Amino acid sequence: MTRDESHPAPSAGASNSSTGPSWAPEIEELERRREFVRAMGGPEGVARQHAHGKLTVRERIEAFADAGSFREFAGLMGHATYDGIKLTSFTPRASVDGFCAVDGRKVVVTGGDFTVRGGSGGGSYGGLGMEMPANRRALEWRVPYVRLLDAAGGSVRSFEEMGRTYLPDGNSFTAPDVQLLRTVPVVSAVLGSVAGLPAIDACISHFNVMVKGTSQLFPGGPPVVKAALGYDVTKEELGGFEMHASHSGVIDNLAQTEPEALAMLRRFLSYLPSNVWEMAPRIVPTDDPARRDERLLSVIPRDPRRAYDGHKIIRGVVDTDSFFEIAPRYGRSRITGLARLNGYPVGIMTNNMMFGGSTDVAAGEKIVRLIQLCDTFHLPLISLANEPGFMVGLEAERQGIERAGARLVIATCDSKMPWATVVVGQLYGVAGQCHHRPTGMFQRYAWPSANWGSMHIQGGVAAAYRREIEAASDPAARLAEIEARLQAIASPFRTAEATGQDIIDPRDTRRLLCEFVEEAQPILRSQLGQTCVPYRP
Amino acid sequence: MSTSKVVLAPVAGVILEILTSAGAAVAEGDELLIIESMKMEIPVDAPTAGTVTSFSAAVGDQVNEGDELAVIA
Repeated sequence: MTRDESHPAPSAGASNSSTGPSWAPEIEELERRREFVRAMGGPEGVARQHAHGKLTVRERIEAFADAGSFREFAGLMGHATYDGIKLTSFTPRASVDGFCAVDGRKVVVTGGDFTVRGGSGGGSYGGLGMEMPANRRALEWRVPYVRLLDAAGGSVRSFEEMGRTYLPDGNSFTAPDVQLLRTVPVVSAVLGSVAGLPAIDACISHFNVMVKGTSQLFPGGPPVVKAALGYDVTKEELGGFEMHASHSGVIDNLAQTEPEALAMLRRFLSYLPSNVWEMAPRIVPTDDPARRDERLLSVIPRDPRRAYDGHKIIRGVVDTDSFFEIAPRYGRSRITGLARLNGYPVGIMTNNMMFGGSTDVAAGEKIVRLIQLCDTFHLPLISLANEPGFMVGLEAERQGIERAGARLVIATCDSKMPWATVVVGQLYGVAGQCHHRPTGMFQRYAWPSANWGSMHIQGGVAAAYRREIEAASDPAARLAEIEARLQAIASPFRTAEATGQDIIDPRDTRRLLCEFVEEAQPILRSQLGQTCVPYRP
Repeated sequence: MSTSKVVLAPVAGVILEILTSAGAAVAEGDELLIIESMKMEIPVDAPTAGTVTSFSAAVGDQVNEGDELAVIA
């Protein structure tokens, strides 16, 4: 290292008293500007925010981050007015960004400030010399990206301020968000009426959550709907929790309060690595990997018409209290989520017989997302299969079940992470085939309650033996006779004789899966990095 | 100490079978009733141990998802 002698480094002995006037006035100026920034959109805006049952962006960040860990950047940015050279007023920009820690790990958080002109960005972006925005910092620092959305997107008010309109080139600053999906965990909380680009951002995420009653989501709100389509609709009807956490599936999870929503983001992140080049964090296991849950012996009813709650199997298998369900209100024929086995994070899913268990379009979307999540962040996937097949019927056809099925087959075959399937009940048809991957580290076990086939014997017989049945003197008796003949050979032990399929005591499931996840660790390490197939939400 | 818990219908359907009654003591996970829905029999379990303090469902009743079926205290 060389040093330019004309700019000597300050000597260790230098002090204010010996170097003349200090920069104290500028420090006062800095503090005054920080005061303005901390005041956000002003006391009225803050009061209105609270009156709506919402926290301010700074209260949210404080509730979300590890105590004292928030380090704001671009914190002096905003719109100032001057009297000569004297600063007379200052309105901060409608976003509060910075680094903070979550369980000791660094993330970038960006929070919309609704108290500043409804959180509108107002075309404030761009220009030479701009500091790196929050999304690019998360990308370059390779840390998770957290959006606390409470913003209305662009506003026509900005046209008037600028004296012109602008082309909608938002992808110039959204492109890094797309890169983030294949690089670091991205999570979003919808914490107000969120419209425009922020509404789309909510879905450029691996996980999102909204708050019952105080948050809504739409590209354009009720006035825009009225102008375009001529009808009246409330914000809540148009984009509230009923619409998005249940019907559309645009939002994964529903929280009752803002602090609960923020806690869900933290919980989701706790299962994932900081980026795709790191291993997911293992926690010190507190549950015995050899624990045998006696209830698993009878959890599958012998009567095939009797349903059971799939959560019971998950609870019996994973580490105590480690299951975090994703999108519990949407695509309910499948339960999907994250959990731990002997402290290692895993993705896990099971058919939910309480809702028929068949894979419909909504469940298919959920499954594809879980597979991609595991593949992207190198988590093993566990499937506890009781698969009746793809949903049939007119409604399923209208929704395009075949394309949904194709997407599921593609996601299954394209994935690389270690995968273990335990067939606990039925396994039928092409949906059944999506609990199996013919490549890579794939392990399958079956419970004695398992039964399987390329299609169901019931229904299948009527189709395959139609001519024989029709020609019989008593068609119903012939149908029953053929069905009985086929049922007699449906025992899983007959399959095991021929194929080597291992059948296990259900109570050994946890021990075997814990061993599988342990064996998967070196494979996962060898797969670190970006996947060939990018995550698509 | 004990907080009462409301048991809601997990799915829409028809009540097929009743396995408890008001005043009965139940353990967590006990089946309270069975709803028939989509040709499947859906058991409704006690979410907590306690006494069934309110129970109004009857066999043949049509229920919607989220309907209150019982209270356990």
